[in-house]
Amino acid sequence: MDKFLFLVGEGFKNLWRFKITTITSIISVFMTLYLIGILFTIGDNSQKLIVYLRSKYKIEVFFKQEISDTKAQKLTQEIQKIPGIRSATNINRADAARIFKQQFGEDILTLLETNPLPASCVVNISRTQSSAIDIAPIIAEIKKIDGVDEITFQGRLISRIERYYDLLFKTLTGVAIVILLVTISIISNTIKLTFYIRADLVKALKLVGASNIFIKIPFIIDGILQGLIGALLASAALYGTIFAGNHFIAAMTNRIRISSDLFIGLWLTIVAVLIGMIGASRATAKLLK
Amino acid sequence: MIALENVSFSYKKWVGVTDVNLVVKRDEFTYIIGPTGSGKTTLMRLIYMDLFPDNGRVLINGYDTSRIKNRHIPRLRQNIGMIFQEYHLLSDRNLFANVALPLHVMGIKRNEIKETVAEILNEVGLYGKESHYPNELSGGEQQRACIARALVKRPEIILADEPTGNLDPITAYDLMELLDTINGEGTAVFMASHNYTLIRDRGHRIIQIQEGKLRA
Repeated sequence: MDKFLFLVGEGFKNLWRFKITTITSIISVFMTLYLIGILFTIGDNSQKLIVYLRSKYKIEVFFKQEISDTKAQKLTQEIQKIPGIRSATNINRADAARIFKQQFGEDILTLLETNPLPASCVVNISRTQSSAIDIAPIIAEIKKIDGVDEITFQGRLISRIERYYDLLFKTLTGVAIVILLVTISIISNTIKLTFYIRADLVKALKLVGASNIFIKIPFIIDGILQGLIGALLASAALYGTIFAGNHFIAAMTNRIRISSDLFIGLWLTIVAVLIGMIGASRATAKLLK
Repeated sequence: MIALENVSFSYKKWVGVTDVNLVVKRDEFTYIIGPTGSGKTTLMRLIYMDLFPDNGRVLINGYDTSRIKNRHIPRLRQNIGMIFQEYHLLSDRNLFANVALPLHVMGIKRNEIKETVAEILNEVGLYGKESHYPNELSGGEQQRACIARALVKRPEIILADEPTGNLDPITAYDLMELLDTINGEGTAVFMASHNYTLIRDRGHRIIQIQEGKLRA
């Protein structure tokens, strides 16, 4: 226990003894984590937007004239089983006539004395998957079903929205990975610098019989603390930005609101501690070879 | 306790030591003398396993350079006290923290560390200077601090590499007396020096080294 307290104390002392390099590193960690937080918030909000847009995707499937309402009901159930489909609502011929009347103000039975409208179904697709939805295979599957006459959907619009979302998702992920690697490198270099400055301590420790892990631990604690402080500052700044953003938007409209993950601060802290640890381990492993 | 068997070591561009055979017994005080660059420091580094021989082997307290694993070297060093011409004290820590360092490494409890450090500082004549920083101590005091740091873990062997090199004759003499006392308490001392006049009348074993080879 005394040994552990000594090592933790050394980690804190390192932080204090090398204020300038530590502050530089913390600022870098703060900035990169803040950027990651912003990217995460953009990703999270665009995910919610895509879920909303997908809920508006509608595929209308019209069955052949000769298909009875009972058969149409069965075909609707069959369509619902296709992967990527969330729900399929059956519209029988009578319902179709009712909808016609609602939309055009005329009763088709009075006009034609018969109901020419076919049974149909309205298909909603799954909306929560993170990758882009490819509508073409779903349409192909529906077309294979015997009794399907015509399918209408906003194909071009859906594929455009999905393509943009996919591009945004990939870009955000790529940028976040690059930023994380840069942060690890920054922490690693700061620890290396501290390590070089502390060459006398490392030498003294080796001479008195300290193991490599004993020498490493204070530097790793130093890295973790840098990450932790950077994460706390980044979380505060991020919550502040979201709050200010919502305040600004509220002045213009109350229909849009930036939503924030309550645990984003916690996630940033976990990420920061991990990158602090990885950065410091990387630096010390190279120097203590 | 210390045995070197046909030990040779070469640096990239010059020879360190050649075919060295040497045994240092428990409680023995051994001087190794020779001019600068003769191989004294190389010998020391081979003994505390900072270097490994190209040929032959070094045996220290049962540890063998030909078989030892890297993770066992720290344990070997915990049983060896090292003193250098350049004191290697940490300038940002006071005397107490410098001397206590090996005990922290060994995982000794805080209360015990306090007692042991006070005891050892008393032994080397630095009691009362615990809160002084290295730059507030004289050269002789710094070397005593270095000895205190080497002794605090009660090692079986003290390796001293030119410990009097930076000291005036009187302080150097006092230091030799201190090392004699330590040896009298049962610690083997292996000391490198190029100052023959300082050691010749002390009645201890003297080994000469020249161009990496031991001379009778």
